[in-house]
Amino acid sequence: MRLRVALIAAGVITALALTACSTGQRVDLGGATRGNLIAAIAGEPDQLDPQKTSAYFSFEVLENVYDTLVEPDENLGMRPALAESWEVSPDQLTWTFHLRNGVTFHDGSAFTADDVVYSYRRIIDQQLPNAYRFSAVTDITAPDPATVKITVKQPTPNLLVNIGGFKGMAIVQRKNVESGAIATHPVGTGPFAFQSAKSGDSITLTANKSYWGGPPPVSGVTFRFIPEASTALSALQAGEIDWTDSIPTQRVDELKGDDSITLGVTPSNDYWYLTLNEARKPYDDVRVRRAIAYGVDRAAIVQATSYGTATANQLAIPQGSRWYSDYHGYTRDIDKAKGLLNQAGVEGLTLDMMATSEYPETVTAAQIIADNLSPLGINVKIRTVDFATWLDDANKGDFDMLMMGWLGNIDPDDFYYAQQHTGGKSNAQHYSNPTVDALLDAGRTETNFEARKQDYAKAATIIADDASYIYLYNPSVIQAWSKRVSGYQPRRDKAVRFRTAGLGR
Amino acid sequence: MSPIVRFLARRLLYSVVVLFGVLVVVFALVHLVPGDPVRLALGTRYSPDSYNALRSASGLDRPIVVQFFSYIGSALRGDLGVSFRNGDPVTVTLLERLPATMSLSAVGIVIALFISVPAGIWAALREGRLSDAIVRIASQFGVSIPDFWMGILLIGLFASTLGWLPTSGYQPLVGNPAGWLRHVILPGFTVGIVAGAIMTRYIRSAVLDVASMEYVRTARSKGLPPPVVTFRHILRNALIPVLTITGIQLATILGGVIVVEVVFAWPGVGRLTYTAVEARDYPLIQGAVLLIAALFLLINLIVDVLYAVVDPRIRLS
Repeated sequence: MRLRVALIAAGVITALALTACSTGQRVDLGGATRGNLIAAIAGEPDQLDPQKTSAYFSFEVLENVYDTLVEPDENLGMRPALAESWEVSPDQLTWTFHLRNGVTFHDGSAFTADDVVYSYRRIIDQQLPNAYRFSAVTDITAPDPATVKITVKQPTPNLLVNIGGFKGMAIVQRKNVESGAIATHPVGTGPFAFQSAKSGDSITLTANKSYWGGPPPVSGVTFRFIPEASTALSALQAGEIDWTDSIPTQRVDELKGDDSITLGVTPSNDYWYLTLNEARKPYDDVRVRRAIAYGVDRAAIVQATSYGTATANQLAIPQGSRWYSDYHGYTRDIDKAKGLLNQAGVEGLTLDMMATSEYPETVTAAQIIADNLSPLGINVKIRTVDFATWLDDANKGDFDMLMMGWLGNIDPDDFYYAQQHTGGKSNAQHYSNPTVDALLDAGRTETNFEARKQDYAKAATIIADDASYIYLYNPSVIQAWSKRVSGYQPRRDKAVRFRTAGLGR
Repeated sequence: MSPIVRFLARRLLYSVVVLFGVLVVVFALVHLVPGDPVRLALGTRYSPDSYNALRSASGLDRPIVVQFFSYIGSALRGDLGVSFRNGDPVTVTLLERLPATMSLSAVGIVIALFISVPAGIWAALREGRLSDAIVRIASQFGVSIPDFWMGILLIGLFASTLGWLPTSGYQPLVGNPAGWLRHVILPGFTVGIVAGAIMTRYIRSAVLDVASMEYVRTARSKGLPPPVVTFRHILRNALIPVLTITGIQLATILGGVIVVEVVFAWPGVGRLTYTAVEARDYPLIQGAVLLIAALFLLINLIVDVLYAVVDPRIRLS
């Protein structure tokens, strides 16, 4: 008995010593994954059905598995993807898409116009989360296997963005959907095919050699889920992974000086804002909202939430977008703010600010904002809740002020309509201004670019003047990759595309 | 029926009752916690029609009582339902995660025992001396260091700087034993050091208690050599509290060392439960809690049986 214990102990110690001697280089993840690019993302996709998920982790993977009819290029203009070309009828009511020839799904079956019709009808008929993107669409037909016709009830300048802006509008395969396998074993037409998944650990994709855009340079991509940012960074520095976006912001400065990796800090189209509940007094008074807008110190918020990697902005659309317009209505001015509160007859206000641990920037910023507003005699009570509760309370209107962000917008309609139009479905603050409504409605149908841009610039200025949203900043996409990786481009819409990435020695 | 069989049968029956109680309580709790799973699944942009469609597809529009009985009904047949999010059967997901949790727990508790048994006994036998003080201070450190911090330090030293071991991840024992071992060492030590520090303190005081008994003094005074006194008279009798604390620590680790799992990207049940709670994935939360409860009961049962094995007085009573 005692001898056996001693033997086991000796065995364990020997094994420990042996492993300690071998070098901890790349992990062989099993299967044919040698030659794969290994990317670490911060969490696990909830499901892999692109039309049903709303999780960014899912889209990081699915961006590489699926295609849309058209897709955003690096400047977020729309370019051909599964559709090679398209034309709009003179009355702007019929869009005709000509599909690429010889495209196949990952299981080898042919991609045809029926798949497009099926995919779009599924979103509309089952009222999937993106159904609203088809609100102007009256009919989708496939006159022949290589053509898709979309009819709209009014001129729709943002149709291309709506059907191709992100992979939530992906073309799925009927068989894959009907078998129910799509949530765990998706079949698409994209540059990589789903190969395998290990719950809680990783998802492996394999290169689609017959991809219409040319075969990807790497043999596949393995997405590992590494929630702790410092671990992901250690793994990158140790050469275990090739790419990650799980990066502690406070270490960005240090990483800029690290020659062993490439750091990408790319301005994004996301934005963060504050909003006040206009269904509650005194926030229905524009003077009170404007006072708060004058009280907020954007520079301090940017520094605290992003260590200076974000860009302060008083409107939603970032510099660099072709829809950008300039606005500088607010600079921090305590006296002006106090004056506005006086005019409104507001004194000694206690404000319930909702933040959520799901987005730590809201918690950090809330503390700064509380400090910013105290000279105005506003006592900010910060309420930090989990995201499920946050959504419930935002939906019920149970808040005075909240901070949140909108992610992945391209077209100005995405930036403003749902949030600012009277009765808009994301208008949790109950803002209503007929002039803004008219401008946003006009923007939906205006096909002349310059005129449309003017509509939105005007609307945005009024929204900011009314302090419906108090816009704060546009964050940056922060990613890092190994020097071995070539041909990878970070994108301002945060889509993670590995189709052109290669791996050197 | 022999007493041991009767004992086991009674305990098993008791376990089933407890599990049923857990099921009822968990079902009630997850539905009482605020937060709408449908809204979470849809994200921030959707129409009321989308909301209603998903709500009825998930069966959440049925009255809560109906949901309860249909859940209990299928749970009794061994069907824990499917995840709201991806439609995967809950039992399959749990079984997929269980090996990682078992690995971490087993390695962690072995490391803890390797640390705590010698250290605890040594400190107790040299009570009040310098070596006792060192053990007590070291174990105080072990108890106080947050496990995520310990994990990050271990990664920094052994993975980043020295490059001896991988930073994170998991390999299955079956199929890749060498990879398994290399991956389990750092998280195993993180768990083991903390558990070992706690256990050291318990073992030390258990040994001290026994060492102050009169029969030990008798054994010493009748001239038995010190090793015989230590091993035959003190340690054997100190085994019961040692078993108890080992069982508790093992159950705690099995129940989810979420922080360690997060730091090491370890695909265990703890992280699964955590994300399930965040997503309000009711069937998955219920299944995971049930599994953890079952593991607790199993360990308790094993510890009880071991009591009877090491102590004839328990066996005979």
